[in-house]
Amino acid sequence: MNKILLLILLLLMLYIDKKRGFKLFLSLILNFGILVTIFYLIALGANPIIVSLLGCFIISYVILYLVNGKNIKTKSAFISVVIVLIITLALIFVVTKVSRIAGFGYESYEEINMYSYDIGLDYTNISISLILISLIGAMVDSSIAISSALYEVYDNNKKLGVKELYKSGINIGKDILCTTTNTLYFAFLGDFMTLIFWFYGTHTSFLEIINAKTFVAEVIKILFSASGCLLVIPVSAYITAHLVKNKHKSID
Amino acid sequence: MKINYKHFIFILLSIISLFFVYNDDFIYKEEIIKITDIEIVNTDEQKNFKGFKETHYYNEITGIITNGKNKGEKRVIKYENTESSIDTDKLRVNDKVFIKLGVIDGIKRDFYMWSLILLFIWLIYLVGKKRGLLSVLSLSINILLFYIGMVLYFKGINLLFLCVILSIIFSSVSLIIAGGKNEKTKSAIISSIISIITLLILTLIVVYFTKYKGININELKFLTVPAEDVIIPELIMGSLGAIMDVAITICSAISELIEKDKKISNENLIKSSKEIGKDIMSTMSGVLFFTYIAAGLPIFVLAARNGYNIFNFINANFSLELTRFLVGSIGLIMTIPISTRVAIKMFRGDNHE
Repeated sequence: MNKILLLILLLLMLYIDKKRGFKLFLSLILNFGILVTIFYLIALGANPIIVSLLGCFIISYVILYLVNGKNIKTKSAFISVVIVLIITLALIFVVTKVSRIAGFGYESYEEINMYSYDIGLDYTNISISLILISLIGAMVDSSIAISSALYEVYDNNKKLGVKELYKSGINIGKDILCTTTNTLYFAFLGDFMTLIFWFYGTHTSFLEIINAKTFVAEVIKILFSASGCLLVIPVSAYITAHLVKNKHKSID
Repeated sequence: MKINYKHFIFILLSIISLFFVYNDDFIYKEEIIKITDIEIVNTDEQKNFKGFKETHYYNEITGIITNGKNKGEKRVIKYENTESSIDTDKLRVNDKVFIKLGVIDGIKRDFYMWSLILLFIWLIYLVGKKRGLLSVLSLSINILLFYIGMVLYFKGINLLFLCVILSIIFSSVSLIIAGGKNEKTKSAIISSIISIITLLILTLIVVYFTKYKGININELKFLTVPAEDVIIPELIMGSLGAIMDVAITICSAISELIEKDKKISNENLIKSSKEIGKDIMSTMSGVLFFTYIAAGLPIFVLAARNGYNIFNFINANFSLELTRFLVGSIGLIMTIPISTRVAIKMFRGDNHE
């Protein structure tokens, strides 16, 4: 079934734009390869946090430079993503350690009880890298949305100063806030429904749910995805404003 | 930022609610203890058949009961945990934990979750001001609607039917809150609804012909409801956000283009929308891709550490995550031409030659 869906997806991508669609399709395959490599390295015992952070840098490089092309917009988006990723990682680290959402919840026990749990890998770090990887796509999306829209603003009115550009970057950010949080909410909801059905089937009460490991882990995951997008807005606005202005000066 | 009385009230409310959630032990029926001492009685090392070493800690947890009729009493409980924390937690002094049938059942996590939710609301407010709070409102309404939908489902209403109705309400509410009541929003709502229904029909056709071949539904077998019932609604719901996002972007762009140049031809409009669509589809598909595929990491590591062949494993266990991504991406790309045509029809009307 996935093969047919994959074919439909490829055709649709090509319909929108032949060259870009093909590139995008290749980049998805490449990203899948990168992800599996990250997963595999973690399973081999490499430090999950370092591997996934480096992996996220490579992934954003692939999405931004290989698919969208090398230009001032993607450059500022890339720099913003790198900065915000590091800030967010620090936050994720603290929250995951404190709230102890590592490991599996009761609903997965049936699925995992065929394995031995004595694997000698701390799942706290694996939870941290899970959150980090799941937010990278959304962060890149917000970042490039801000930098390209801001570049467009600058292109139409070259007299704008850095401060004005930054301000209009924030305004653009406000426009995408609602839709981005919605995209994430519904994407997580798709996964979430399974969990809700399980809770219902096992007669778990509301109070038990809000303390359950998996539920809290899912909520923290979506909150971090959304917060990553939020944090990238001012950073991307600031960096893009400076980059386009500096480039302008060097041309003069 | 100037601090006015509204901020003051917000800050006060945040602090009060945090204080309440931290001390809300009395609303729980289960016994809660606050850990005062953890003593590691014994540790040993166990190996799995692949030779990975795992440290097991055998603890004696001392704590004081904080709720119920035994409040204030001291309890001593044995607790075993591992370095990996796959099915255990690393407890610390001052943690509050639930006690069920004399054993530790889990950490009280509501305070952590609520702190992070508050932090997020503050962050979205600082970046987006009023618009930020509106998105929080929209999210809250959506969560409430979802809850109502679930209640109705458990009362026996068909989930797929419910899903279509909910999608229509979801997209209307979210788009009106995001963009206000106007022509753009209206066209975006109509485009989302058409796209959702088209996507649903397409998914049903593919499922009809392939009968879920190659997808490991076993992942959902633990459910008490039939997996086949749940899968398609889940796929559709997961795509809804992305579809709305694309619909509003395309509709705003088309309206902008028509406003700037009333004589612009429909062919040119379609061309421009493809130009915009080109940029959206590459980043939006990335959002769905990483959101879904990352979820497979924990089980992948567990299986790989147990000596499973990772290629077989990917085939068997990543199929559902991949399906979620594929359906979502198909949905969002499909929305590009659909909303272009809806927007052209709406903004042009019939009077255009």
